[in-house]
Amino acid sequence: MSIYSQSYPGHPPYGAASYTHPPLQSGYPYPYLHSNVAAPPPPPQPVYHYLDPASFRREFTTRLSELQVNSRPLIQNLSMLAQDYSKFAEIVAQCIEEHIRRVPPWMKLPAFYLLDAISKNVYEPYARHFASFVKPLFLETYGQVDEATRTKMEEMLLTWRTGSPAGKELFAVPPQIAIERGIWGDSAANYNSFSLSGRVTKAQVLSELEYTLGQKERALQANPYDTTSQNHVNVLYQLRKLVDAGVSQEELQQILNQLRTLIRQVPQPPTSSSSSNPTWPSQMTLPGSLSSTSYPPSSSAPTSGQPHQQHVIPPHAVKAEVGIFNPNAAAPQLAASKDNIASLLSTLVKAGVVSASTSVTPDNTKASAKVDDQDTQRADLEREFSRYYRNSILAQKIQLNSLDIMRKRPNVVNLLYDQLSLQCKQCGLRFADTVVGKKRMEEHLDMHFRQNRKATQNVGRGHSRSWFTSAEDWSHDLPPDVKGKGRENNTRSFNARVAAEEVAKREAELRAQYVVVSPGDEAKALSCPICKEQLKTEFLEEDEEWVWKNATKKDDRVYHATCFAEATAVKSSFAARLRFEKHGSRSGTPDTQSSRTTPPPDSRISRSKSPISPPRESKVVGTKRKVQSDDIAFGGNATPPFKKAALCS
Amino acid sequence: MTSEAKAVVKREWKLEPESEYRFEMDPGTTLAIKLIVGHAEIFGFELVEGKWYLFGYECKAAVYTWQGCTIEVAGQPSTEYVSEETSMSAYANLHIAFEQMRVRALRKLRGSPPHSDEPGTPVEPPRVLVLGPENSGKTTVCKILTNYAVRAGQGWSPVYVNVDPSEGGWAAPGIVSSAPITGPISTYSPANPLGSAATTTPMSFTSNALLPLAYWYGHADIRKNPLLLERLIRNLGENIKDRFDNDPESRVSGLIIDTPSSFASGQGSNDPRHRLIKACIEAFNVNVIIVVGHEKLNVEMQRAYSSQLTVVKIPKSGGVVELEYAYRERVHNYQLHAYMYGQIIPAPAGVTNATIGGETFTDLALAPSSTVINFGDLSIYRIGAESMAPTSALPIGAKRVVSEMQPAAIDPAQPGSGLLNAVLALLSPLNPDENERYDEELLDLTISGFLVVTHLDIPRKKMTILSPNQGSVVGRTAVLGSFEWQEQ
Repeated sequence: MSIYSQSYPGHPPYGAASYTHPPLQSGYPYPYLHSNVAAPPPPPQPVYHYLDPASFRREFTTRLSELQVNSRPLIQNLSMLAQDYSKFAEIVAQCIEEHIRRVPPWMKLPAFYLLDAISKNVYEPYARHFASFVKPLFLETYGQVDEATRTKMEEMLLTWRTGSPAGKELFAVPPQIAIERGIWGDSAANYNSFSLSGRVTKAQVLSELEYTLGQKERALQANPYDTTSQNHVNVLYQLRKLVDAGVSQEELQQILNQLRTLIRQVPQPPTSSSSSNPTWPSQMTLPGSLSSTSYPPSSSAPTSGQPHQQHVIPPHAVKAEVGIFNPNAAAPQLAASKDNIASLLSTLVKAGVVSASTSVTPDNTKASAKVDDQDTQRADLEREFSRYYRNSILAQKIQLNSLDIMRKRPNVVNLLYDQLSLQCKQCGLRFADTVVGKKRMEEHLDMHFRQNRKATQNVGRGHSRSWFTSAEDWSHDLPPDVKGKGRENNTRSFNARVAAEEVAKREAELRAQYVVVSPGDEAKALSCPICKEQLKTEFLEEDEEWVWKNATKKDDRVYHATCFAEATAVKSSFAARLRFEKHGSRSGTPDTQSSRTTPPPDSRISRSKSPISPPRESKVVGTKRKVQSDDIAFGGNATPPFKKAALCS
Repeated sequence: MTSEAKAVVKREWKLEPESEYRFEMDPGTTLAIKLIVGHAEIFGFELVEGKWYLFGYECKAAVYTWQGCTIEVAGQPSTEYVSEETSMSAYANLHIAFEQMRVRALRKLRGSPPHSDEPGTPVEPPRVLVLGPENSGKTTVCKILTNYAVRAGQGWSPVYVNVDPSEGGWAAPGIVSSAPITGPISTYSPANPLGSAATTTPMSFTSNALLPLAYWYGHADIRKNPLLLERLIRNLGENIKDRFDNDPESRVSGLIIDTPSSFASGQGSNDPRHRLIKACIEAFNVNVIIVVGHEKLNVEMQRAYSSQLTVVKIPKSGGVVELEYAYRERVHNYQLHAYMYGQIIPAPAGVTNATIGGETFTDLALAPSSTVINFGDLSIYRIGAESMAPTSALPIGAKRVVSEMQPAAIDPAQPGSGLLNAVLALLSPLNPDENERYDEELLDLTISGFLVVTHLDIPRKKMTILSPNQGSVVGRTAVLGSFEWQEQ
């Protein structure tokens, strides 16, 4: 959803050149990074100073012609150039259009990605300029490219629905509808109204499914504890199986509508908040941009029924899918017939409301196991690399004494230069030419991209020196790779404490609630519609009545009071969290207490500064302010949603 | 700028492997250097080919190359020459030795099997105290070692500790402070030789957005109040220990501690430097002492500490420059100015697209805020009496009226309060719990930043405060030192 999610393993954005050059098929997704061996690297991209339109056009065309494969650095550089020279937007638009029309089909998609990146990242005035030709260009290209590229183009097209800063159509409604109609037929035009009329094709549903799934998985990756997203992902996988197997037209319609409802609640920030703000927010708002149009090479995907689908399944998704295929674990689910669609859909709907119902716990653990798996994999790679480094360091025979220090010839050149052959052309930092090194370099380039963007946006706005951090924060905020501001003392921990107290108090109040059992129903087992656990009955001595403890009645149904409160809270905090993600906060971590009880602006600040917020509370040990740390620990324990779910039982 | 320097001067210098181009600058001039081909670094900070790097504020630095390079220089430095006599190989050897310590420490932390090297090899990360006389290049050594560590590609983030109150480092002078370093530190101006504390400006280098932890000592001279300095050093040590306890991985990168030159030499055995060195060793759990170019000090340290830690002598670089007092004064001014207003280094004529320290823009201007507040809005203290004779100078048996550690409130309404143009340190908020407060709490609080009193209006009981940002200082506490600063 944001540019930040690019840095997650398994999602090399814009890098997936699987369909492009044959030589690249098995290679790394980053041809650019390879270039020091293969081809000469593109020239360094310093500050740009082309003042007259003619030379700008020349320069841009030259740079554009280098965009032959799906290389993210190139796309980033080009879109930065476009951003810096938005006064030449018309030229940029012309160049891109000409380029796409001129180049052979295999070179078209990267250029479309560039168009996508510029429109989403810079938006004004580019989206306006592109809107005039995007429809014919898209459809024409769509007709020329192969199946794999089409799938990617469909993916991209779906992100355009909500691609504008306000969460609306990136290129206005008419072109969007026209393109969709051109691709999927008339029914596509209905996506705005929730009409049930018109024909829906399986391909359309599938690609929307994939898109929704992609969004959900990124949300999940950004926030592994988000049980709601986990539920969604699980249900979506099952849905895909069913659709794949073939379902009736009516069911397709239903699914499509549900999907749209889902995706509508999900990635769009409430338009009231963002549309009132015509300027681009200063934080990186990249709704579904780079990452959502990009997927890893298909070569890594194992078997699946439809070949074109492979291109849009991220590797970890494939793993998860395999998990579902596992006969022991998920056979019953797979065997689900069409009759189950309705129930699946209802689960889907409910999943939007209920955060962690006990029925999905096994799936939860499975999904998180996958995530762990991936982490482990990357950790292994890193370890491999650092092992190599360690050995080469320890192989050097240097004693730490005055004589040896003076006498030996250091082999530092090898360590500081030769072993780290990839260099950032902007700041000179070096990275090893390994999988991990490339990953780091990619993250590093993202950082530059963000900072440069901020820098150009902030021109004219006064900057000032921040206050230093407080001792408390300094000792706990680790590692401080967060750019930017010092923090004004310990407001955060104070907020956390207040929040924790509030949560505890509310919880106690909820638990005290009860519903009187209607006479004659004492023996009946009643379960909470949310967590499916039985409500406990108890005899209240004072009132001489049987009651359901921790219960509340809504619309003639009895719920656990805690479950019900949770469900409603999650609904709002879920939306709030998605809003954060839209605003590009990479650290959309489940800092539940702040997202639930502090107003969004505050929590956003604390969030963007703490990349590792889940462990923060647990790290509060041995501080001087004992009282506070106890409180925080309590707050941390009291809040995560699954803990709460457990309380229901 | 001298008149002949106005002409555009661009020259190429071809540097042999392991040599360096050294330059010094006159006040008010700027210089730009571009790497044309090869690899080059400035105090461990690697330059990117084809970019102009700007230098200003009387910067004195050197471009070193391990493998040889060609650079282009624009502007007129006051002194420039190429030298092949450097101490870089010794510094690089030190780096490798420290990397070995980090690697071993990490291995131990992760529980990996020990390497097949000699048993009994220490497995502690390097916690290095760098000592040396004036003009020996201590800060430069610290910077090179830090830069090499962060460039190793291992994710190290050593904590740089600056206990030299006369050197502002990443902020303004008068503080004892530390900051974890995650990216290389550039050198372009003596106003911030150790990078820059965080601003709201988006920066490409983490070293230009540091999050230091700072205690206010308030004086440039360590002999002014050694007891206070010792206490601050120990406080800082506690915080670093907390940090390491919270994240054992960060501990592995180690510490690099830069010290004032007055730690290296003093008069007699009564000198406070011994106590302060000992305080550093204990507070930061130092396991390596590096003595830069001072034979006698090396022997002294060997004698005192070689049983518990390693003492290594390294040569000082031939490039270090004798700095006169007036220059240091100017640097203090640059540092405070840079703290409040940032820095602008205009590119020399004929140079376009230049960068300051590799950042993508040339204008690092900041906007401080000037506010008028009532005398009562800000509590101001001085630690100890205004002018204190050393204890040894007091008559035998005489006791101080105000002890060195006692905070004394200052009334701005009193003439001669010494507040006008004084640099104040804004303290972190006091403990909100009254019961937790104690007399000397002010000494144990870190600071939020610096303030300058720019105007005193005694009749109306108001003063004008220059503050780095818009944050309110009302109700806060500030401490006076002996630094003054006036906008020029």
